[in-house]
Amino acid sequence: MMTTINAYLAAKGIYMLTLVLLALGVAGIIVCNNYMKKLICMNVMQVAVIFFFLCLGQKYPATIPVALDSAVKASEYVNPLPHGLMLTAIVVSLGTTGVGLSLLLRIREKYGTIEEDDLIRREELMNRKAKNGGNRK
Amino acid sequence: MTLILQAVLLLGLIGITIAIIFGKDLMISVVIYCAFSFLTMLLYNIMGAPDVAFTEAVIGVISTVFFIIILRSIDRKTK
Amino acid sequence: MRKTITVILLIIAVFVPFATSDILPVIGDPQSAPNTHVSDYYIEHAIEECNSPNMVTAVIVDYRAFDTMFETTVMFLAGLSVVIILANRPKKRIPAFSSLKRLKTADGRPVYRTINKDVMISVIEPLILIYALYVLFHGEVSLGGGFQAGALIGMTYLLDIMVVKRQRPIFRLSKAGSAALAGIGPLIYALTGIVTILGGGLYLEYNKFPLSVHQAELHSIGITAVEIGVTIGVAGTIITILNALMERTYFDDDND
Repeated sequence: MMTTINAYLAAKGIYMLTLVLLALGVAGIIVCNNYMKKLICMNVMQVAVIFFFLCLGQKYPATIPVALDSAVKASEYVNPLPHGLMLTAIVVSLGTTGVGLSLLLRIREKYGTIEEDDLIRREELMNRKAKNGGNRK
Repeated sequence: MTLILQAVLLLGLIGITIAIIFGKDLMISVVIYCAFSFLTMLLYNIMGAPDVAFTEAVIGVISTVFFIIILRSIDRKTK
Repeated sequence: MRKTITVILLIIAVFVPFATSDILPVIGDPQSAPNTHVSDYYIEHAIEECNSPNMVTAVIVDYRAFDTMFETTVMFLAGLSVVIILANRPKKRIPAFSSLKRLKTADGRPVYRTINKDVMISVIEPLILIYALYVLFHGEVSLGGGFQAGALIGMTYLLDIMVVKRQRPIFRLSKAGSAALAGIGPLIYALTGIVTILGGGLYLEYNKFPLSVHQAELHSIGITAVEIGVTIGVAGTIITILNALMERTYFDDDND
């Protein structure tokens, strides 16, 4: 029973769970009204994509990609190429979060709120006030 | 055996994401995001990527503290 | 209405590809397509060509050094854009939220206290900085590298700026100074490439440094110089973002 579960997980199961996590992240961005939760769900999506990449580089009876002695055989070590790409991706996501948070602070200063419904209503009010004020002159 | 362990941790991550989406207070979401980052670090360790796990541990802490700094000046209650 | 339609479409998009297709490789197979062709070459020739047992460092700093140079530039640009977005002076302060009740004892002192600053600053922060230097210089032998060391130095600055208000810091940079520091990192990286051109090779080819040491030593010197650039870039970006964000928010219940 454990080997059938293992075989099913290796062929399709883990990919399906990763895709569910990615879809939950996208659904979170669309459903949540608060901008800060949208930023957190963006990080959730990033974790799902990184996990998908690292899945592709696994080998079954293999160890971590640090060479233990001088005679290396390629089938004893985990593929190091996805690890290198994902290191870069994690550090760049930190910069993206920082820029997103600074935009959030500016939105908060200008509109006074960070919920999406209130923001759309206030923007329409401001547009209407600007148009009426311009026409009265 | 490790595949079953990875599947269990992934199910935990999915549960945490549902808790983030339906939380009523923003501080809950940020603290649970810190736990999310910790679970992903464990997941990367089990898969055989300790370099990526080290980076994720350090950057998860810094990212959570960014969120908490912003949280001091915005409204914490959300619908 | 739009939210329920979106969720239904997402559920369909998750389950339909997996019921009908079989293109993704089986996890754990050493002969699948991503695990052959060029990764075998990287694994087998990492020690003799790059002089580093850590294959991930050999891949990102030696075989694919050009990508890491642009990644460091992207980090610098992120720090710079945070400074530019938050460059205005707000006309009025953000209204403080008085939802925190301050408990007081009988003679007026507040019950809430901060962490003991003397223990934190003088014991823990130098240990973290020494560990960051160790991770930087041993990045090619064991796990570590430039990114981790830069993030650890940024974490030290974070501790420093959040525990002590404005008294006795270890190192304190202004916003312009930290943005300059974040720019020096990619500069060191790019200059390493130009030095190899002057030695007669291609850009970032470590074999052609104009120094007269053994060939394995040349790769070590190149990798260390490049990783110092990456560390300074990442640490500078984190310090820049922290400085820019902490000017706008204030902690209204710190009284020391």
